[in-house]
Amino acid sequence: MSALAPAPPHVAASFLDTFGGAIEFIFTPRQSVGVGGDVGGLGQVGEFLATHVWISALALAIAVAIALPIGVYLGHRGKGELLAVAIGNAGRAIPELALIALMVAFIGVGVLNVTIALLILGLPPILTNAFVGIRQVDRTAVEAARGMGMTEFEVIRKVEFPLAVPTIMGGVRTGAINIVATAAIAPLAGVVTLGDFILNRNVYGEEGVLAGAILVALLALAVELGLAGLQRLLTPKGVRAQVPHSLFGWRFARRSVNAEA
Amino acid sequence: MIAEATTWLAPLVAQGDFFTDRSEGSATECVAENKTVCLGWAWDNADRFVSPTLEHLVLVGLSVAFGFAIALGMAVLSHRRRWLVPTFTGASGVLYTIPSIALFLILLPITGRGNVTAIVALTLYTLQIIYRNIVTGLGNVPEAAKDAGRGMGMTERQLLWRVELPLAVPEIIAGLRIATVSTVAIATLAIFAGAGGLGEEIYTGGLLRDVFKTAIVVASGIAILMAVFFDALYIGLQRWLAPWRRVRAI
Amino acid sequence: MNTRNGDAEALSVRFEDVSKHYPGADAPAVDGLSLEIPEGEICVLVGPSGSGKTTAMRMVNRMIEITSGDIYVGDRSVRDRSPAELRRHIGYVIQQTGLFPHRTIDDNIATVPRLLGWDKARTQARVEELIGLIGLDPELRSRFPSQLSGGQQQRVGVARALAADPGVMLMDEPFGAVDPINRERLQNEFLRLQADVRKTICFVTHDIDEAIKMGDRVAVLREGGRLAQFATPAGLLMAPADEFVEDFVGADRALKRLSLLRVSDISLWEAPLAYVGQASAEVRAKLEGAEVPHPLLVDSERRPLGWLSERDLEREIVPDRPDSPAEPRLERDDVMRDALSDLLQAETQYAAVVDHEGRIAGVLSIEIISEFLGSGEALVEEHSAVERPLE
Repeated sequence: MSALAPAPPHVAASFLDTFGGAIEFIFTPRQSVGVGGDVGGLGQVGEFLATHVWISALALAIAVAIALPIGVYLGHRGKGELLAVAIGNAGRAIPELALIALMVAFIGVGVLNVTIALLILGLPPILTNAFVGIRQVDRTAVEAARGMGMTEFEVIRKVEFPLAVPTIMGGVRTGAINIVATAAIAPLAGVVTLGDFILNRNVYGEEGVLAGAILVALLALAVELGLAGLQRLLTPKGVRAQVPHSLFGWRFARRSVNAEA
Repeated sequence: MIAEATTWLAPLVAQGDFFTDRSEGSATECVAENKTVCLGWAWDNADRFVSPTLEHLVLVGLSVAFGFAIALGMAVLSHRRRWLVPTFTGASGVLYTIPSIALFLILLPITGRGNVTAIVALTLYTLQIIYRNIVTGLGNVPEAAKDAGRGMGMTERQLLWRVELPLAVPEIIAGLRIATVSTVAIATLAIFAGAGGLGEEIYTGGLLRDVFKTAIVVASGIAILMAVFFDALYIGLQRWLAPWRRVRAI
Repeated sequence: MNTRNGDAEALSVRFEDVSKHYPGADAPAVDGLSLEIPEGEICVLVGPSGSGKTTAMRMVNRMIEITSGDIYVGDRSVRDRSPAELRRHIGYVIQQTGLFPHRTIDDNIATVPRLLGWDKARTQARVEELIGLIGLDPELRSRFPSQLSGGQQQRVGVARALAADPGVMLMDEPFGAVDPINRERLQNEFLRLQADVRKTICFVTHDIDEAIKMGDRVAVLREGGRLAQFATPAGLLMAPADEFVEDFVGADRALKRLSLLRVSDISLWEAPLAYVGQASAEVRAKLEGAEVPHPLLVDSERRPLGWLSERDLEREIVPDRPDSPAEPRLERDDVMRDALSDLLQAETQYAAVVDHEGRIAGVLSIEIISEFLGSGEALVEEHSAVERPLE
């Protein structure tokens, strides 16, 4: 590693060093450490970033399209609690690396396979949170709505869903982060995302690896911020007061549905 | 490595059988064709998986233990100083948002390659969920019980440790449960930080060896089983520690 | 004043010009409250919401801090020791009981003894004693609070407060969360208990009937936390200090008063007695100047058989069976209110009162009752709460 600097601690100095190098990597193309050709620079970064973003967005969109309606419906009817909770639990237990590896081993590489893997990891939190969120809406409000003559669908649209937004969005945010994180190892399955920098030290070098890590982290944070903002927008005014710290905050469903309670 | 790769040439696309045939041939044949799970081979080479499994357990165990200790400290601190809650929640939340591989690698230059980095990162991941659950659990303690406790002459400290925390145990265990199961999954990536764990067999022993299916399947299976095992363990733990939760009121 | 096991003496509680001001509020929550609760007595703080009764009670154990003035328990100011220390020697019972859900009944009751560092044997013995005292099935000792009914939980709450044998007990609407039938039962049980343990009790309620039933003394507080009247229940009912107290006590205060008395509390009239087989002329002679203008036929044991009418007396000898039966028949131990009710129902003017053996003790009439209530005697005949008639 770099030479010992007498004044600042060794670790800090070398960290800043590498950090600086990583930042540089993002902006300046340079000779590859291993394979020939140029690597790094905004062009390549932009390319990988774009891939990362669109495949994550695609997976998230599909996941929401599938899980949200199912979760909301089940929650509204009050059925399938065990299933919804079990899926949430199971989803947490799946290691992303194992999933991608199994995908590659048995189905192969390619966009479709990666998307499926991302779906598997993004669906559970959305489903569980949608279910629990709807379930935990104040029953008296729902009763009152029915009593006023709303159809079941209207009850969901006008009462249950708006009141469940914080919990549901919490699930979407978790799902989104899971997807972005897994997309980082998508290069193992042939889809070249920002994770490529991380996975191929011999091509991009130490700085490249760190750069990739930083970029992935920043992307995740950006997605979180964006979705938190969206949540803010979607949350009805009356409910906002009740959910104070949503940014980086309570994303997990407040489960009163413990199987053993 | 090249020699081994040559020995274990295998088709990349899964056109092979999906089921092994134990009666047929030797383990070597099964491996050579890279069938789904070569049980014979796995059985013979079981010790290959023992070490990564143990490493994995250690990583998970230590991370959750540290995470719990830190989160508990945070919760006790913020219990009487409510203004700390958003700060702690936000900070632990940021850490949770950062994808695990990224965190492993960002920590690398600071803490070096190896188990320490992995444990640090894994610990940081558990913080948000455990902290949040402890705080929620404490918030669910019935007001009347606290009033009675104070009225009987308990100091705030006695109240916290004899009444509030014990009553928060179910929520705390729920949080530990989620944290542990998640950590088992995340720890498969610990290899990227230079640590051990089952990720070793999935990545190095599996993907990198021309996608050696058996290694991947076995290692993944162990990871999932471990998660299930911990899940059940925690449910049992809660039953044991919080017997009053099970009993029904008249 | 000795209590049950003589360990701890009941202590008096004295409020000296106590006030509580909350910052930002115009009016004080409690304003210059001064009163003294003698040892071994139950003092009930009663008033509408906003009258500061709960605030006043909670200042005794410093759950709320005093702004000005002082409170003395025994001879010590409550500010003498640390709040935690103070509270370990004061029993505390609240409406929602606040039993610890995660501890068994045994453990709940043993809380304060353990805080005080009692040894295991002593704690165990005390818990057993209390379980018996509150009349709880010993089988329930290892159960959790959620497995008990509301009434049982309340009793455990009381036992828990008594565990360390405090000199003073504070009770904040302890029976409020229970249904009316169980509430009455709990009140009666508690009074029986108090007859045994004789603690000094500061009891808060918004229910004037409960105050009158439970209190040796009653302090009526008005909005703004000021004392309107501090008197015995009789005093309150017979001589309310002002319009507020009169209104609060209720328009039926005379009737309320009757609930607190027994027939034996007033001097009864005498009826001329006639024995079976006696000559009517003799009986008629007794009628002259008698308090009750009707003769009562009794047997040889002086047990009433019936009232003799004019027609009965026309015969030579007094008949065995009189026209009117001796109904209603009241007993000396009867609650006065019930006696009046019986009189009104029977549409008679007079009722025979008998003693434990059924022998005639006197005659009660509506006139006697109203005379008594109007006289000064009514205030003198005062029972402590534990000696009052219980339904």
